[in-house]
Amino acid sequence: MYGGGNTFEGIKTDSLAQEDPVKLAEFETRIERGEKIEPTDWMPQLYRKQLIRMIEQHAHSEIIGALPEGTWITRAPGFKRKLSLMAKVQDEVGHAQLLYSAAETLGKSREEMINDLITGKSKYSNIFNYPAFTWADSCFISWLVDAGAIVNQLANAKGSYGPYCRALDRICAEESFHLKYGHHCVIYLATGTEKQRQMFQEALNRWWPPMMHFFGPSDKISAHTEVLMKWKVKMSSNDDMRNQFLDMYVPKIWELGFTIPDPLLKKNTDTGRWEYTEPDWQEFKRVINGDGPCNKERLEVRRVAEERGRWVREALKTPKATYVTPLA
Amino acid sequence: MNSLDPRVNRLPQVGQPEHVEPKAPLDQFGTFEVFVQPKEGKPFQHEGIVHAPNLEMAFVLAKEAFTRRFQCVSLYVVDTRNVYVSAMTEGNQSVFELIHDTPEQPGEKESYEIFFLTKRGKQHIHIGSVTAATPGEALTLTAKDYKTDKIIYNVWAIRTNDIRFTKPEEQELWLTLPEKKFRDASAYKAGDKLKDFLEKVNN
Repeated sequence: MYGGGNTFEGIKTDSLAQEDPVKLAEFETRIERGEKIEPTDWMPQLYRKQLIRMIEQHAHSEIIGALPEGTWITRAPGFKRKLSLMAKVQDEVGHAQLLYSAAETLGKSREEMINDLITGKSKYSNIFNYPAFTWADSCFISWLVDAGAIVNQLANAKGSYGPYCRALDRICAEESFHLKYGHHCVIYLATGTEKQRQMFQEALNRWWPPMMHFFGPSDKISAHTEVLMKWKVKMSSNDDMRNQFLDMYVPKIWELGFTIPDPLLKKNTDTGRWEYTEPDWQEFKRVINGDGPCNKERLEVRRVAEERGRWVREALKTPKATYVTPLA
Repeated sequence: MNSLDPRVNRLPQVGQPEHVEPKAPLDQFGTFEVFVQPKEGKPFQHEGIVHAPNLEMAFVLAKEAFTRRFQCVSLYVVDTRNVYVSAMTEGNQSVFELIHDTPEQPGEKESYEIFFLTKRGKQHIHIGSVTAATPGEALTLTAKDYKTDKIIYNVWAIRTNDIRFTKPEEQELWLTLPEKKFRDASAYKAGDKLKDFLEKVNN
């Protein structure tokens, strides 16, 4: 699972000026040819920096994203659902491991990344700063947040950085189970009692605004990312991904007889694009900067986990060990 | 903490809220490279890394991280520092053009496992083994013994003795029990339920 809408740093126009123009040109033609960049290849500082930032945010999103769903394992309806949800949450944590490893090949150690997560320096997908009130919220996450993540990840898997693409290929294969599981859960609620239907409708009402935020600010206001698109770091614009998600999933939600809480939502048959109420980007900004319903709790849970595991890590540390960057 | 999650509310108070003791270097341990054999008869391929305090734990963690869901018949791990890496080439240049002939070295001969990168963006694949006294000699021998028309972009050599292989009695780790089908997408079929529902709604 993964939140799109990476917060890329604004790019200064002179940040490429100190790069070697010959190497830069070689690098760019390689990407144009569709070749992957590997850890030992030359790359511009900006490419390295933005990739670390993106992969790291993705990894944090997997770790933090396991929390709102993880809370429902013990209270999932029935033994089978508990088993499935446990397997799914285990997958998410596993994805984080794969992603941290991919980011590490670029030269940032896992210790630094985890430090930056718990001190609040690094971001993670904003959607996980919202609480999962009921079982239906957990079903919404499993089905639709994962669906959004897949739209994003499938795009990124065609990117230019080899280790990240390889990690994403594995992740996407596992996500197909999450999506099927989530849809299964929602169909059971939708075809169940009135109370069950109402539960999902309420979850949908709560989660729709954060879901619209999920792919990041509208292209009209987001930071300029042309160079990142050219380097195949960012593969699709925020609005394009949002549109693709709506295209694939709004009909499926409507099919089940639920109402999406946006009176303006409709597909423009002329342009083929979806129209919707402009999401509240002020709120998005506010929450991503720490003032959401669960930001504090999410980081505090991570911090407590770190503290409680410290003695184990210390006991296992090998004094002779030296660090080397992993290979691929 | 005042959370909706009862488990979170039960967490003991540890340290100072919002105060983070920064992690020391190697707090997450060193890295180990993981190789997986996806099917009987297929070569081992590089999959990624795990962090672990030692080789034995690396094996256990690699099993969890890389073979939970994907087909695997065998797995091995090696400390990243024990992988001898050649230069990386591109275009039409084969890595063997860059390998200087190392004359036969004195000393005890040991077995090295050899891995080729045949396509950029793909993983390193196990190609065979050579017996040499040093990694440099191993690469020279590889250039002779595994001569190929294909372009090889990168070679890894690993001393066979540095690898933690799967033991024969561990092979059953990857036999999936029939009651574990809930881990597969195919176990979630709700099409009929949805169809009945839609028919009822539309009538």
